[in-house]
Amino acid sequence: MSVATSMRAKRAGRPRSDKFRQRFEMGVLSVPALIMFIGFVILPVIMAAYYGFYKWKGFGKPDVNGQFVGFDNYRIILSDPSFQQALGHTLFIAVMSLIIQGPLAILFALLLNQKFKGRGLIRTLIFVPYVVSEVIIGTGWSLMLQPNGAVNAVLKNLGLQGVDWIANPKIAIWTLMFIISWKYIGFAVILMIAGMQAIPEELYEAARVDGAGFWRQQWSITLPLLAPTIRMWAFMSIIGSLQLFDLVYIIWGQYVSSTAGTSTMATYMVREGRLANNYGYGSAVAVVIFIISLVIALTYQRFVLNRDLAGATEQRERKQYERRAKKRERERMAESEIEAAIVPNNASMEVSAS
Amino acid sequence: MRVKSVFAAVVAAATVVGVSACGGGSGTNADGKTEVVVWMNSTTGDGKKFWDDAAAAFEAKHQNVDIKIEAIQNEDMDGKLQTALQDPSSAPDMFLARGGQKLRDVVEAGQVMDLTDKISDQVKTQMKTALDTTTVDGKVYGVPQSVLPGGIWYSKDLFKKAGINETPKTWDEFADAVKKLKDAGITPIALGGKDAWPAAHWYYWFALRECSQSAFDEASSDLKFTNECWVKAGDDVKNLIDLDGFNDGFLTTSAQQGASSSAGLLANHMAAMELMGGWEPGVVRDLTPDKKDMADLGYFAFPEMEGGEGDPTAILAGADSMSIGAWAPQEAVDFLNFISEKEWQEKYAEAFVTIPAAKNAQSAVKNEALQQVLKVYDQASSVSLWLDTVFGQNVGNALNEGVVNMMAGKGNADDIVKGIEAAASKG
Repeated sequence: MSVATSMRAKRAGRPRSDKFRQRFEMGVLSVPALIMFIGFVILPVIMAAYYGFYKWKGFGKPDVNGQFVGFDNYRIILSDPSFQQALGHTLFIAVMSLIIQGPLAILFALLLNQKFKGRGLIRTLIFVPYVVSEVIIGTGWSLMLQPNGAVNAVLKNLGLQGVDWIANPKIAIWTLMFIISWKYIGFAVILMIAGMQAIPEELYEAARVDGAGFWRQQWSITLPLLAPTIRMWAFMSIIGSLQLFDLVYIIWGQYVSSTAGTSTMATYMVREGRLANNYGYGSAVAVVIFIISLVIALTYQRFVLNRDLAGATEQRERKQYERRAKKRERERMAESEIEAAIVPNNASMEVSAS
Repeated sequence: MRVKSVFAAVVAAATVVGVSACGGGSGTNADGKTEVVVWMNSTTGDGKKFWDDAAAAFEAKHQNVDIKIEAIQNEDMDGKLQTALQDPSSAPDMFLARGGQKLRDVVEAGQVMDLTDKISDQVKTQMKTALDTTTVDGKVYGVPQSVLPGGIWYSKDLFKKAGINETPKTWDEFADAVKKLKDAGITPIALGGKDAWPAAHWYYWFALRECSQSAFDEASSDLKFTNECWVKAGDDVKNLIDLDGFNDGFLTTSAQQGASSSAGLLANHMAAMELMGGWEPGVVRDLTPDKKDMADLGYFAFPEMEGGEGDPTAILAGADSMSIGAWAPQEAVDFLNFISEKEWQEKYAEAFVTIPAAKNAQSAVKNEALQQVLKVYDQASSVSLWLDTVFGQNVGNALNEGVVNMMAGKGNADDIVKGIEAAASKG
């Protein structure tokens, strides 16, 4: 701080150093953020990569108490049926989340974008599950979905035969899908409503004058103009699915998620790393998750999200367009780097922090 | 601006100081007393009080020692310990350890003290049997506080209601009892499959009955389950499933948490029996409606399997032990010897409703079911540790999950062995 103050004193005499001073202050002020980022994101990722080359029990130091095995851990991970299953479940959840939540969220948003009594209340209600913590939701649903829980009691009163919603391996993953959809749809709806409100009302008026009905208006105006919002939401949804851990861990506990067919990459990592005391192997799993998430995130950005950026530059003069496109390319690179760093770091931290 | 700068500087400085202050650990404290930090897993009730009382009594005798008892939630214990042990300044001087491969890992990392020449005569003579669980390569690395033999715990009232007058001694009698309970509309067996190990205990017991002692011990040490008896144990599990005696949704039922857990089902007379270790009376007590001892709780030994090569009196058991960190002061060892004395072992038995490790304190066991356990324990031809403890968490978990899979209708006895081999390659 005293350095910054003395810089301020100097400035009075030398206006030219203004820019330098500004840069210097930016540097100083970003130090805490940098320390956090390097200490809790970059460093754990590097450490996980390092540990991943060892068979190590977590006691002592890997190079002393562990055994260097090169890429052996990675070979075992990729050939482990449990990991393949977990990966399959994760991808299933990612795809099904898009298929189930997307259309539903748009329909809900259409409804909640109309003017009617109690709209605020319903908007709030649909958003509530998103706000409540995963642990509470997991505990609540797992109690209600027990074979003799509330859900089956209601079904029984309706004269229907209930099933074992969470323990039956054929049903469990669909139960999980239901809970995920119920919890996260509020977030999608809020995003969609915000997107819809940005669409100018005049377009609908014009369409009505041309004789377009309600659904025709939605199909030809709302959906195309909502597309950037949908693409952004889908990106967040995919990332959320790749990281899914807490709900599964709460409902199915530490050991039976693979038996019930609901294991995810993250539960596999915790199960094989922390719970099995194989910190070396677990770190290697973290690295694999990191790479899978990175590839998916970058691919999505490259092929889907870049449309939004390209569309905005269409009408500009050619020279200006090219210059800006170059600049955008750079920004996008930086962005995706940040994105990539943000996406899987939870996963890798899980192991190194514990 | 200036005020803000000063404020920010103060905050920054405070953070730095605060962070460094976290690294407490052991050593000498401000009063010049030697500090001994103890990590145990009783966060509530009589168990916590036992440790506080013991610390106070020891401090009264040794004025220059400050015993710091820290209660760690059981489920958090392993993870926290693992991290803390990396650095002697943050590590406890004395901590809960359960023997087996896990203790071996800590020993190999040089983080635990060799107590062979430091334990008192009381420990050496009265805890001789239990000391096996904390002995690695002939050296003692911990002192057991309680022994926890397994067996079947049941509700006498529900057995009576179903017309079962004598506890089953053989598998056929057991199957018959299950059928009678079902006919009476009672859930026969509570099982907490969510935690995996309660399901796996069935498999361990079947193996103990089917395998000869040498075959059992061999597999425990070399992880090769080639003997025919392991397949037979798998078949026994299948027969057990065919009895269809478990509570509904056992796969997602936890073992000890709340009234809907398997122990809770037994405590509230929603199920008639449960296969569990010697901690059951204490666990069940916390889950009864009035939080008092379950009045009609009974115990019988695991039934005999016809044609099995194992000794029908052999039992499986666990032990809760305390180990000392390699860096700990002599006072920590003194405290461990202190609580292993007859007086404190008796108090331990009362506080935890369990069987104390010291033979001369076992007369303090008043619980009727536990007295039954003690009888079985004293007559046992051999006492083996739970297989998952023997194998450590890596292979142990794989074994447990293999059994759970089988019980859920996925896979068979061969898959259990395959899972074990796969796990061994990871660690």
